[in-house]
Amino acid sequence: MKRRIFSLLFMTVTFSFILIPWNMARGDSDYAGSEACKDCHEAYYKGFAQSVHGKKAVPGNPANREGCESCHGPGAQHIEKGGGRGVAIIVFGRKTDSNTRDSKCLACHGEAKEFPFWNLSRHKSAQIACDNCHSIHAAVKGKDFLKAQEPDLCFGCHRNIRAQSNKQSHHPIREGKMKCSSCHNPMGTANVKAMIKADSVNELCYKCHAEKRGPYAFEHSPVPENCNYCHEIHGSNHSRLLVRKVPLLCQNCHNDGGHPGNPYTNLHSFTGSATSGKNRFFGRSCLNCHGNIHGSSLSPAFVR
Amino acid sequence: MIVLMVSLAPLFSAFPQDKVVEGELSLKPIWVSVDGREGGEAKFTEYRDLREDGGFYGRARLNVDTEKYFLDLKAGDFGYDTQYYKIGGGLWGIFKGDLFYNEIPHNITFDARSTFVGAGHDTLIGTPNTNVAGWETFDYSVERRQYGGNLKVDVIRPFFAGLSFQREERDGIKPTGASDDALGPGTAFELPEPVHYVTNNLKVEAGYAKKPLFLSVGYIRSDFNNSDTKLNLPANFTGPRAFSLPPDNTYQKGAFKGAVRLPFNSRFSTNIGFSRGESDTSIFSNFDGKVDTQNYDFALTSNPVRFLDAKAYYKFYKRNNKSDPSQNPFSLEVANLFLDYEISTLGGDLGLRLPLNFYLSGGYKYITTKRDKGETDPAEVFPFNTDNVYFGNIKWSGLEFLDAKVGYEHFDRNANYRTVQSEVSPAKRYPYAAQNKDTYKATVDIFPLENLNLGLEYRYKQIDYPSSDTTFGLRKDKRHEVGTSVDYIIGKIAKVYGCGDFGSIKFDQKQSSGGLPWEAEQKERSWGYAIGAEVYIIPSKLTLIFQHDYLKSNGNVDYTLANGLFGAGGLPVFPTANNENIDIARWDDYTLYAFKIKAVYNFTKSLVASIGYVYQRFDYRDAQLDDYNFAPAGPPASNAAFLTGAYKDQSYKANLVFGGLTFRY
Repeated sequence: MKRRIFSLLFMTVTFSFILIPWNMARGDSDYAGSEACKDCHEAYYKGFAQSVHGKKAVPGNPANREGCESCHGPGAQHIEKGGGRGVAIIVFGRKTDSNTRDSKCLACHGEAKEFPFWNLSRHKSAQIACDNCHSIHAAVKGKDFLKAQEPDLCFGCHRNIRAQSNKQSHHPIREGKMKCSSCHNPMGTANVKAMIKADSVNELCYKCHAEKRGPYAFEHSPVPENCNYCHEIHGSNHSRLLVRKVPLLCQNCHNDGGHPGNPYTNLHSFTGSATSGKNRFFGRSCLNCHGNIHGSSLSPAFVR
Repeated sequence: MIVLMVSLAPLFSAFPQDKVVEGELSLKPIWVSVDGREGGEAKFTEYRDLREDGGFYGRARLNVDTEKYFLDLKAGDFGYDTQYYKIGGGLWGIFKGDLFYNEIPHNITFDARSTFVGAGHDTLIGTPNTNVAGWETFDYSVERRQYGGNLKVDVIRPFFAGLSFQREERDGIKPTGASDDALGPGTAFELPEPVHYVTNNLKVEAGYAKKPLFLSVGYIRSDFNNSDTKLNLPANFTGPRAFSLPPDNTYQKGAFKGAVRLPFNSRFSTNIGFSRGESDTSIFSNFDGKVDTQNYDFALTSNPVRFLDAKAYYKFYKRNNKSDPSQNPFSLEVANLFLDYEISTLGGDLGLRLPLNFYLSGGYKYITTKRDKGETDPAEVFPFNTDNVYFGNIKWSGLEFLDAKVGYEHFDRNANYRTVQSEVSPAKRYPYAAQNKDTYKATVDIFPLENLNLGLEYRYKQIDYPSSDTTFGLRKDKRHEVGTSVDYIIGKIAKVYGCGDFGSIKFDQKQSSGGLPWEAEQKERSWGYAIGAEVYIIPSKLTLIFQHDYLKSNGNVDYTLANGLFGAGGLPVFPTANNENIDIARWDDYTLYAFKIKAVYNFTKSLVASIGYVYQRFDYRDAQLDDYNFAPAGPPASNAAFLTGAYKDQSYKANLVFGGLTFRY
């Protein structure tokens, strides 16, 4: 028994002596230097050199460290083996799991103030890595390295949002006056589901719609709780981004007790004043009277 | 801006550094012809400034990049309502900042008309009349002008600081409405609401970011000022002769964010914020609005081993309305009821990397919502909600050319009405009512060739409001969504691309009128596609671009009324009305066609010319806007309305011919 323990100890110490210097040697000599990469990957090298990553003025940049090998790992063996995609080198592609790809970026950007909550990001949970959206070797316009411009980049995956934003009532996203990133931080926020840049939906909407903020003397209860109760933010077939068309939307909450409960059908409301004598539900329907539906300083019924 | 760019150019050459200077100047003449009525012209230019007499649209960009500093300038649409200017720059690793100016128009309806005089001002005068041709005309349009700047300082790293300021001036007219009994009970008056807003936003943030710690404190202040405190209504109004406009308000927020790395590749994150919103309205002198919010987020994430991702989080959000519980001076029996609420969310996610390139993830969330509006009527007490949310996804990337994902989420909401009276009330408000929501989604992305990408997505969502809780109100919300996309690069010959979407939405609701039930089933079916191609006729020289977009939405409402409702109560009597002829066939129906052809010729790498043509047609029909009546036919009676034409006649046909000359340097 003692002999076995001694043998095991001897082998451990021996292997340690062999492995430690081997590892040390690997750490020193396996880096080939960015100039060596340039020989075969000139376009990538040029893009890198011109990008922010290539600026020596930025502390901690790859340019101040191992250059290309800061992200791709030591490249000497890759060169020795004659190169090739993924041969003794870290590649960024679908076959490499997202955490491995992210870890290379987060080695520097993990302390970046722009995205302290990447760990909470829904993109991370969905195995979307940095290089799904960013082209690290630059050669694309903009200092954010995006592979495409917003919103096309986002619509590549969020096809349902693309469809909504094409609807007749929409925010000016297609027109280039808003971006997805105006409201969302794709790098993650404390809002784990929608990654919005605010603590609540209303806080986000009020950034541009400050007039809705109030506080009003008379509140319409759903309004201060969640704008999404009535508005389809990414686009709707109905004007003013409404989730359903008025008056049926209003009737979803206001039932019976006088005019809110009546069915305003084709014959009863929309055949024109010539036949019905009434046109109150034309146009904007309930909002023809209840104009201050987001809140009023005078009227609990929002008619003033 | 162009002058600035040209004058800066020699300056850059003075720096003895390797630098990249590039940019472009372009000029795009556009000739526009719009065939549409007032609403159509506005809809065509909803967020644009395209003038029928044509115009020249300029754009400029300059980027200077050196080892030490950078400078970016961009500007465009000079002199138009969409113009923008931005100048940014900085010293790498030390600071960066920018100054910007941007305009965003929102055109709703041109040449709307009002029976009153004074649109755009804070006082309307006149007597309602039915001579529509003699009414005053005006445009429903609002323009935002935003300007400000941002500064971020990195030189004090690991500390950092940032400052942002933005001022927005908003001017124009938007539609609103009021009712009055002067001309008959409940007469509706659609009104032009003046918009003269100024909002100043300030944000400062400072912090520390160095592994393993991130800390930041921030302060936000936003001041909203409305030049018009009220819209004075004409003398014939019997109620208060004023319509309240958004009050001046101030919003302040203090925030703290923090994150720290922990053993086992874990991270603890927190986000804490306190805000106060205050308003002051001179129209209601004894009211001072004050709302406080608190937000706490805590999260722990961990990747202790390669195959496991874990996340646990808690969020607490509270709104406390501390406004004066004063009474309405015009209806003294009515006092304000202010909503307080708090929402707590506790959740956890797990993700597992499995063999064969499967990734399995799932989670659970428990959410409680407590509301208090100080209701005195026990039937009106707002419910508390308890939500249980379960979700799971599986993603497979086992093939070089394919990614596939399926997901499911179940949302289960219970409503605790707290009083017997509110619980037994048959009518329930859908935001608070008990509900079950199931969402299924499946996505496939295929890359059979290096230059061919295909994508297909399907989503199904159904929300049921159980009849045990909701007798009257929204009962069902059911949707199908399909999205596809394809792009293919055919060598150096062409690139073709396309996408298609289909959506189907169905809402069921049951209501009660005078104790008699009726039901409405709304359906919306939307589909659309875009196809395009870039054909490289002479590679690197001449490119032809074609694009066609098509979008259609078809909606309708199927009504079913109890027999007693035909000709009863508050409904107009139609002897011929029955459940077969009361349905609404046009419910925000529209079709958009767009065709574009463009030729781009590169004279040199620096000089590019283009010419093109766009045809765009938008057909819009809606029961509420067809056969539109600005004024009641004959003497005003009950349920009459004096309208202004907001959102009316949105159809249009437009032809655009454009050219372009771009100089890149």
